[in-house]
Amino acid sequence: MVNLRPSLATCLILGMGILPMMGVGTKAADEIVIGEIHPITGPATFYGLPESRGVQLAAEHINKAGGIKVGGKEYQIRIATEDDQASPTVGVAALRKLVSADVRFIVGPLASGVAPALKPIVERNDKLTQLIDGTIAENMTNGKNIFRNQATVSGYNVAVAELFKAKKYPSVAMMTDRFHAGFMNSQKELAGNLKEMGVSIASEDYYKLGDTDFSAALTNLRGRNAEVLLIRGYPAEGALITKQARQLGFTGQVVWEMVSPPSTVLKNITAAEMEGVFNCIPPTTEDYVKLGDEKAMALDKAYRAKYNEGPGELTALSYDAVYIFKAAFEKAGSLDNAAVNKAMAALKVSDIPELVTRYTPQPDGRLFAADGQVDLRGEVSVWRGEAWEPARLTD
Amino acid sequence: MMLELLPQQLANGLALGSTYALVALGLTLIFGVLLIPNFAHGEFYMLGAFITYALVASGLNFWLAMTTAVVLVVLIGWIVDRVVFQPVAAAPGHGSGLSLMISALAGSIILQQLATIIWGTEARTIPAPMTGMVRTSLFTITYLQITIIATLAVAWTAVWLVLHRSRLGLAIRATSQNRDAALLMGIRTTRVRLATFALGAALGAVAGALLGATFPIYPSMGVNPVLKAFVVLVIGGIGSLPGAIVGGLVLGMVEVMVAGYGSSQFQDIGTFLILVAVLLIRPQGLFGRAQVER
Repeated sequence: MVNLRPSLATCLILGMGILPMMGVGTKAADEIVIGEIHPITGPATFYGLPESRGVQLAAEHINKAGGIKVGGKEYQIRIATEDDQASPTVGVAALRKLVSADVRFIVGPLASGVAPALKPIVERNDKLTQLIDGTIAENMTNGKNIFRNQATVSGYNVAVAELFKAKKYPSVAMMTDRFHAGFMNSQKELAGNLKEMGVSIASEDYYKLGDTDFSAALTNLRGRNAEVLLIRGYPAEGALITKQARQLGFTGQVVWEMVSPPSTVLKNITAAEMEGVFNCIPPTTEDYVKLGDEKAMALDKAYRAKYNEGPGELTALSYDAVYIFKAAFEKAGSLDNAAVNKAMAALKVSDIPELVTRYTPQPDGRLFAADGQVDLRGEVSVWRGEAWEPARLTD
Repeated sequence: MMLELLPQQLANGLALGSTYALVALGLTLIFGVLLIPNFAHGEFYMLGAFITYALVASGLNFWLAMTTAVVLVVLIGWIVDRVVFQPVAAAPGHGSGLSLMISALAGSIILQQLATIIWGTEARTIPAPMTGMVRTSLFTITYLQITIIATLAVAWTAVWLVLHRSRLGLAIRATSQNRDAALLMGIRTTRVRLATFALGAALGAVAGALLGATFPIYPSMGVNPVLKAFVVLVIGGIGSLPGAIVGGLVLGMVEVMVAGYGSSQFQDIGTFLILVAVLLIRPQGLFGRAQVER
């Protein structure tokens, strides 16, 4: 005779399998998934990894402080990380992967080559909201569902103009990375602005990422008597151009216009060769720390505790981006993209006390202009010893 | 004014051309003797740079680090030959040129990926073993650039002596002229193969160590130099050592003159114009011998 009574063990096994399916037991907290697209690997890792970590750290801090309250409900943030390797093709694939996983809020990208590739996809999708924390290329936002809390290249150029005005440099030779969309698109405007200030443009030369020999163009500088060599691009080439210019007898002022972590700079040039070089970019995480900013110092401390190294130049922007999303969710009182977009556009700088970066509020106090762009202006820093520090232009 | 800068531009061209020639020297040796279009030569160059970098970073003297890197890259070269090329060469018909080229590309990608795993992708520079420069009224040249030019001369002389004043060199030259006849004459072609790969890889490693103290190093750093080295080979004549030297110098001079007196944007166009001109006027290259197929 077959015993039809289930044994105790069978009951337990069935119970363990069925109960979770019935929703009995501990229910996971509701989550808001924020996708982040940064170059975690590839040639721009030194920018992208600290940005990705900044996003993770902000999410951790928000979750630890109780999460996000939307319409009376509490949510925890979960970050979905995608690596774009600073490549447009990989970046588009990363975005599509996030979209197919129903991720509707995106932070990134970093690279000026990736952002234009993502823009048409995001613009056409009303179930996406993007906050760019990296690229400086112009015309990447629309104020509808694409916003940016990083400066544009025009913001960088403000600092260049201030430097030339303060130091009254009579002439400049410009060397620009010809594949950097942001710098190339603003080249004409910057040259025009400098000319209006009475600065003579001795030469405009171009190079590309990975170039190693700049001797021919730099030799010509000697014949053109340029007072300033302005380098616009990435730090590895910037270091090499600076080094070769000095070797070829250029004694004028070297000015960089690029985000350049000291750790990366010092892998390519000695501190002595960098002494006195100016850089014209918005203040970085490290600058705020040096200025004694309490929020920056707290971020720096938390980052070091978690990752055993200092934050990157752009970490504060990525950290801010998550808090901007948090404020937009809470202001919208909904996770619907249209409502979040509207709330994002209406956010005031004072609505987000956690922001590390010092954005200039719009005339009405809002964070973003009508086109979705923050006002973040470049400032001049100078290389002293082993790192950049804020420059005093009156010296 | 621009003519006043000519001596400096010539010095720039000589320095740049020497770097091309140094990379091309090892490539032409392997191509000339073993008929392998060794794209992985760029990775011998890259590994020479990275191993030197790692050893210098751990406190070793630059020259000792470079010597150690040369030995290690020779070993890696033998492994690459054994794993990547020999199975293809042993295939019926000794493996076609296309198979060898694809194998070389595969080897190149694998070595690049290994370097990426070990050292990451961030660019870095080997601390220069010497600083300072010679300044004359006409031109300036750094001690490191002089060292590279001198190394090129020494490397060429050493390879020439090995090829023309030793029994091993005689065997290498015989194999390069006719592999089957060399086998029939009792030449141990395995030994020739090992020696050729050792010389080629060593030259690549020396180039990587020295140029890594001048230029940034990163895992894919070998791609461009090896492409330029193939251009040098076409200009100078495949398998010709003087051709590699002269081809490299010509290419360096042309690039600097185009950038200096034209625009740096046309630098690469200059490279390929000279390549087309050589192919049209003297397809076998400046020092190559025309081959007649019957």
